Amino acid sequence: MNVELQINNSISPTARFVSWAPSPCRIRMTNPSGATSPSVNVRIAGSSAAAGGAVVFRRNTTGAFSNSLTVPVPITGTSVPFFVAGRFGRPSINNEDVRIEARAGTTLVGSVRVMVRIRKNANTLTAAERDRFVAAFAQLNNQGAGRFADFRDMHTQVSSPQAHGAAGFLPWHRAYILDLERELQAIDPSVSLPYWRFDQPAPNIFTREFLGVSDTIGTVQFSSNNPLQFWRTDGVQGINRQPFFSTGGAPPGLFTEAQTLALGNQYRAFRDMEFNPHGDAHTSFDGSISGIPTAAKDPLFFLLHCNVDRLWAKWQRQLGRFNPAQAASYDSSPGNPIGHNLPDTMWPWNGITGSPRPPTAPGGAMAASPCVSAPGPQPQVRDSLDYQGSVNSVSRLGFDYDDVRFA
Amino acid sequence: MAKKRQATKRSTSARRPKRSARSAMSVATNARKTVKERVAALAEVPVAVCESDENLQAVLKVLRDKDEPVNVRLAALKSLQTASFSVVAFESCRGDYIGTLREVAEDSDPEIRQRVLGILAREKDGYAQKKLLEGLQHPEKALVPAEKALQLLSYDVHADAYPIARSIVSKPPNAAARREALRLLAADASAAPVFEKILRDKDELAEIRQISASALQALKPEKLRAHAREMLLDTSEYDDIQVTSLTALTQFGGEAVAKDEALMKRVDRLRGKASTKVKQSARRFLDKYGR
Amino acid sequence: MMQSVANMSGMSEPQFAALVDALAANPDQREQLTDLLRENQPLYDQRGAATIVRMRGWVLLALVRAGLADSALLFVLEELDTGVDPYLIAAAARALRSYPNPSPAFAPFVTRALTNIRYRDEPVSFENYGEYAVSSAGTSPVRELLATLTWLGPHAHGILHEIESLRGGISKKLLIDLDRAVEAIRSGEQVDAPDASVTCCTLPSGLSSTSSWGIGSRCGCEPIESTVFEDHDGAEITFDKFFKGHPSIVVFFYTRCDNPLKCSLTVTKLANIQKLLEARGLADQINTAAITYDPAFDLPERLRGYGQNRGVRLDARHRMLRTIDGLDRLRGHFNLGVNFIESLVNRHRIEAYVLDADGRIAACFERIHWDEQQVVNRAIEMLKEKSGETKSETSPEPADGGLAAECGECHHQPSRPTKS
Repeated sequence: MNVELQINNSISPTARFVSWAPSPCRIRMTNPSGATSPSVNVRIAGSSAAAGGAVVFRRNTTGAFSNSLTVPVPITGTSVPFFVAGRFGRPSINNEDVRIEARAGTTLVGSVRVMVRIRKNANTLTAAERDRFVAAFAQLNNQGAGRFADFRDMHTQVSSPQAHGAAGFLPWHRAYILDLERELQAIDPSVSLPYWRFDQPAPNIFTREFLGVSDTIGTVQFSSNNPLQFWRTDGVQGINRQPFFSTGGAPPGLFTEAQTLALGNQYRAFRDMEFNPHGDAHTSFDGSISGIPTAAKDPLFFLLHCNVDRLWAKWQRQLGRFNPAQAASYDSSPGNPIGHNLPDTMWPWNGITGSPRPPTAPGGAMAASPCVSAPGPQPQVRDSLDYQGSVNSVSRLGFDYDDVRFA
Repeated sequence: MAKKRQATKRSTSARRPKRSARSAMSVATNARKTVKERVAALAEVPVAVCESDENLQAVLKVLRDKDEPVNVRLAALKSLQTASFSVVAFESCRGDYIGTLREVAEDSDPEIRQRVLGILAREKDGYAQKKLLEGLQHPEKALVPAEKALQLLSYDVHADAYPIARSIVSKPPNAAARREALRLLAADASAAPVFEKILRDKDELAEIRQISASALQALKPEKLRAHAREMLLDTSEYDDIQVTSLTALTQFGGEAVAKDEALMKRVDRLRGKASTKVKQSARRFLDKYGR
Repeated sequence: MMQSVANMSGMSEPQFAALVDALAANPDQREQLTDLLRENQPLYDQRGAATIVRMRGWVLLALVRAGLADSALLFVLEELDTGVDPYLIAAAARALRSYPNPSPAFAPFVTRALTNIRYRDEPVSFENYGEYAVSSAGTSPVRELLATLTWLGPHAHGILHEIESLRGGISKKLLIDLDRAVEAIRSGEQVDAPDASVTCCTLPSGLSSTSSWGIGSRCGCEPIESTVFEDHDGAEITFDKFFKGHPSIVVFFYTRCDNPLKCSLTVTKLANIQKLLEARGLADQINTAAITYDPAFDLPERLRGYGQNRGVRLDARHRMLRTIDGLDRLRGHFNLGVNFIESLVNRHRIEAYVLDADGRIAACFERIHWDEQQVVNRAIEMLKEKSGETKSETSPEPADGGLAAECGECHHQPSRPTKS
């Protein structure tokens, strides 16, 4: 007897990645031999490698999760839906370190390996996680000739009004780092974008093995086995970054997470965080990251914005601000410029060029994911809000943070 | 008309309690407050700077004022920089901001000069580039150390810095300047022979050879592959440069590398015998090529 | 004087400034100022990009004193259309006001410049050659552009709405200039184009950004036939092997261009052209090529990445190319609008060409906004020419024959590049 397990409703191995938000799955009988009734009760459970991820299950779109699930599977081959999610607090550390097993009685009748792929604190990555991330990032850059050039070109002075200084700052950057993360995952699917938690010390980030050590004038140096030594942007080699703080500690003066989350219960108050801690995190350094025209030249920029996004995600979870229809979830002031209103498509993914948009649209459409269908090739501002699919499961964007639950 | 202007501003700026912003501005610009208090207050005013021209001018004045404590002036600068991230809201501020930055680019305080020239250089500002180049050509006019000037000029490949960078490579005022000159020249297609020479010179520092490897990878990748191969086969070569070679070939090598049996054999031996870093890099290399 | 200008390629900047001032002061020599705006002017050889900005800006300011003639107008409009340097945009805006006749056709250029520069406004100084404004007193590109709108007055009626939208972000001291411009635009009667069949964007007659050569007047490509290229895959091919036998569309670019309105947009538009050709089933009959000005740096992998990132189709008939040797010959043959400092481009114009089936230049589109459909149509004409057919159906072009600048009425939205 055999069953087929589909994760994210797909048999493709590329779709076997889950996060805290439930992923739709299916089980169906592919070989009913030995079955003595029209359906067979199959128990689905997770089996984790040591220190690996763990998963939980539920049958329906609502209800509690449990460590295992028993479902009657018809011998006709009709598929039966269920949901799997990562167990909060147990992300994977390697690809396929969780096995989902289906048993009929004690007999294993099917299994797939999955990864609970979560965005983590960059300071606490394992060496293997760090190295995979760095290798993928260096490959995306490909000494200036790779797809990273598009991401650099998306964040310049010319394009900055699309993404800064108005309500769409958070949605745009969420889409931006999601697009980048999906490109990294096309290189190595086990990679997710880590965040730099800038209100806490993060000495493990500023090492030669990771994002480099700055010398006295701000030239960043890497270990000889770090592929970021070949980093190049705008035709120019290397990274310029000079911290105004000791990297053994946190930059002073930034709002803590608690202060940020307390900025206000309405989005239009919360988005003040564009100034502090976001702007202040940028200007805690001299160098490329300290100004809009050059910030995206530094890989640290993306970890900085991952934390900005995490703070937004946490605020959303804290207050239930996922629904674009809810006024408190977004700032729909009448004076919002184009690209900052909920129904607006976001540049560059919309491909629209010419005033009032920038002259070119680097990168084309939003990268697709084998795991989720959202936000689609041309996301609207509204598509960034319900990232976990809390309001509408179809809106799930396929990422989660290690310290932000689902429900 | 005024109401519409205000409404638009509100939609693009924060909604702080006005008293708080006013109070922060008041402390920030009050010379009778302590440096610590003023620095803390200046950290709170980016929003206020975007909201009113009066606030902007007050903070610019602090930055310009040579009689103010340096730390207060630097805090004012940071505050303006933070505000500038909010591009739409900062639109009305930018002209005065850039004008003031140029004004203080030749300030008596070296840190203020360096920070301000850095901001301008990242904007590819012609004034800053002119000053930096002048300082390299005539050291008595230098506003920042040579190595810093070269680093800042590297933000713009069109900054016309190659000639001075070449002359600094051959006659450096210090090691850091030579290093930055080499980094800058890593975008100069005609500099490949210089990097080849440095890469194979075992008397050069590892860092300099690493820069050369990276430069050569960009300018003449086939040359780097050839050199990397030779350096890996050279049993007397330093570990660091062998690791850089392995990393380059792992990231950027292709079919030719995959078919190179002599190289594969050598790397296999390195995996077994060499230092930890070399072993690790060798393993990655062999994994990449399915060995 | 023309000959002596050509011989002065090593002159210092102060000497150059004096030369420009002398030319501006002499009515018989003012036309030579236009010649100084050509990118391939020997005076610009081996100068840094910032130096070029100072030199060109001074020429533009000289045009203010000398009066802007038709011959120089295209350069001024180009700077407004695709310029990103605040000094040059400000100088161009000021120069435009010395043209004898304001025209509705200029308004879209001014608004485009405002869009390009409004978030990067900064003080500029026109007092002395090469001077940078070190305080916010004086002028700025936005101020100059608003003054030009005031000069246009009712001729700018078509873009009034866009101008009003500046009100929310502009600085307090520029509000006065904005109000003045709006008042001038509203005063008097709206000025329409004289001929209803012509759009409001039609440039003054005689001014063209397009040149065409009839079959009998095209120069042979013998001087460059043997030029060897390397493509995005590292394959070598000569000019005659790639460009002879089919019409071609060629653009020039380089990957280190930092003006997104020039090379990045040009190559993106090439991708759009390829899609238009595909839609008409002509992608196998008309070649396309993007040739780099910077062959020493733009190696195959870089070419490939640049093209792919902009949605360019890459195959045997559609290539990104660099010269192995012969860039100088190519430069001379196409009369490329480019100059260099060592091997690095210091300034270039936008240029796109249609070659006939014998590799001869049949049409050139330069400087300001060129329309992809118009370029495709020209290439199709070459195809018909090759097969001996008469000029037949081509897709509709912009109403003005493609000499247009963009405006709200005739805005052309290129189709989206997609990720590979």
